[in-house]
Amino acid sequence: MNEQSHRNTSRRSILRAAGASALAAPLAGSLLTACSTKSTPSAKPNTTVTVTSYGGSYNDQLTKTLLKPFEKKTGVRPSLLANTSLAGLKAQVQSGDVQWDIVELTAPEYLQAVDEGLLEKLDYGVISDKGLPSYAKADYGIKYLSFLFVMAWDQKHIPDAQAPKNWEQFLDPGRYKGKRSVYAQLSDSSILEAARLAAGVPFDKIYPLDVDAALKYLAQQPGRDELIYHTANQEPIQQLTSGEVALSTSFNNRISAARKDGARLNFTARNSVVAGDYFVVPKGARNKEAAFRLLDFMSNDAAAGADFIQTTNLTLANTPALAKLPASVADSLPTSPKLADSILVRDDAWWAKNLKATEQRFKLWQAGS
Amino acid sequence: MTSTVTPAAASASAGADTPRRRRRPRGTWLLLLAPALAFDAVLFLTPLGKLVAASTHDHAYQRVLKDPLVSRSLLNTFEISALSTLATVVLGYLLAMVIWRRGPLARVVLFALVLLPFWTGVLVKNFAWAVLLQDNGLVNTALQGLGLTDAPLALLHDRFAVVVGMVHYLLPYAVFPIFAALAAIDDRLELAARSLGAGEASVFRRIILPLTVPGVSAAGLLVFIISTGFFITPVVLGGPGDMMIANQIDFYARQLTDFAGASALALLLTAVVSVLVAVYQRILRAGGEYEAH
Repeated sequence: MNEQSHRNTSRRSILRAAGASALAAPLAGSLLTACSTKSTPSAKPNTTVTVTSYGGSYNDQLTKTLLKPFEKKTGVRPSLLANTSLAGLKAQVQSGDVQWDIVELTAPEYLQAVDEGLLEKLDYGVISDKGLPSYAKADYGIKYLSFLFVMAWDQKHIPDAQAPKNWEQFLDPGRYKGKRSVYAQLSDSSILEAARLAAGVPFDKIYPLDVDAALKYLAQQPGRDELIYHTANQEPIQQLTSGEVALSTSFNNRISAARKDGARLNFTARNSVVAGDYFVVPKGARNKEAAFRLLDFMSNDAAAGADFIQTTNLTLANTPALAKLPASVADSLPTSPKLADSILVRDDAWWAKNLKATEQRFKLWQAGS
Repeated sequence: MTSTVTPAAASASAGADTPRRRRRPRGTWLLLLAPALAFDAVLFLTPLGKLVAASTHDHAYQRVLKDPLVSRSLLNTFEISALSTLATVVLGYLLAMVIWRRGPLARVVLFALVLLPFWTGVLVKNFAWAVLLQDNGLVNTALQGLGLTDAPLALLHDRFAVVVGMVHYLLPYAVFPIFAALAAIDDRLELAARSLGAGEASVFRRIILPLTVPGVSAAGLLVFIISTGFFITPVVLGGPGDMMIANQIDFYARQLTDFAGASALALLLTAVVSVLVAVYQRILRAGGEYEAH
């Protein structure tokens, strides 16, 4: 009897405790989030800055040439992620839980983010604009690099002598058998511009972009079935080196990095499209000050900047670094005057206005209608 | 002993018994449910509420329903799911039959072979299929080596590859309910049928198949419901024409940064699947009655 009641009470108390803790769980959760949103230390000795970018070889290059030297110089510890996206930035800002301090966005995405009020205004008191070229300095971001959208090929299947010299050749199914890999999204891929160039449209007549004509051209040359799509920047490197495709669009720095790793790939800068990425600070970033200091370092540190440019073959918005480069490197850069006549400059304003509608259009076209 | 109890005592004890029996389960029931409810409230109901709220912005439903991409991916979702379900149930039935006909040891081994892929990540399985099916992959190399084809067949990045990848993932979900239905069949039915002169085909057609119909329906609906939510497989194995509704949600959220549209789409999918789950439960219940008869 006694034992029975004891057992009963103990069971009941356990149940009660379980019930209480279950009810408390959501409270505890909200308490925790309340704590975490309140505690935003800005200038601790071991500050970190969370940077998010595109991953792959490019992230390795960023770490080696810019982030490590920055940490050495300032003691601020950068942590680099590989999942940058406008959607992620928007979700974080809207939910008030901002995890990123510096975010890499394509130029049309940058303009869209400014439009939607997702960005922190840059403090040019902390970021010295001495090294910044005027095209790169913006209120809410720094157009910190320029890259080339290029045609790339697998040298095992296509020797350089037979490689495409322009987009017409690249897309011609009679000239090269097999599929071409193309970037599935348009926010920094210029396949539609490429199709217009292939059709013989001169550089200065590409914009406003005739999307219908571009898609019509692609439907004939090489034909919808002859295109496969990549969704990440490192994917074409895998597709080319695995022999899945012999031709792909890519970015000059990715192919250069793969070549340094021994891959037998090549690309041509002629007829490429130059585009740029912005580094921005999300509204409500926890380590805003540290983020500004990193932006300052990238724009003004000559040694780190020159190392970045030589490693990546990308143009950094860092004038002192550009001055330190040997002529051979300087001439191969997207912004080099020597290449000016054979490179199309992407119209960011057109894309910012038309990106969403064109993305939808392109997706529908890919799906066969 | 019980016969000596007076009516008053009996009614008293019953009176004391009934409320206690009723009260304790009720309290316990609520308390036992509390953790699950709290869990649900935090991790399911709150986000669902936010989703509903988000979907009401910017005329999301009208916009989404007018988008030809959405109707396209909805159609894809149902076509691909139906195809995968059919293939999964047929293969699952055969597999369940084989397992059912074997002795206990062989059953254990065969079940292990079904369970092993069940525990393997879907991404791993999909990439394995991508490697097998690509132009210079094992399947094409073998076909060419045997002289059956002289050029690689286009196996990857199309609907065929998506269905193959999905069936591989879904097979265990069909095998288990069908096997359960088979295992419930009374052995004596088959003996009786045979003693009356029924052949193999006739035993299957007139006894086994009708008795497993509830299991097959359950497997079919379960597999179909799971199919409608596939996301990775169409990305890895499919072409751009095989986009399913989950991919469409991803496109709205990530590329168009249209969170309202993505929410509306997600709720549409939830509604469709909820209806399917309701039907599924009804069929399960009907199946239970069927077996009881």
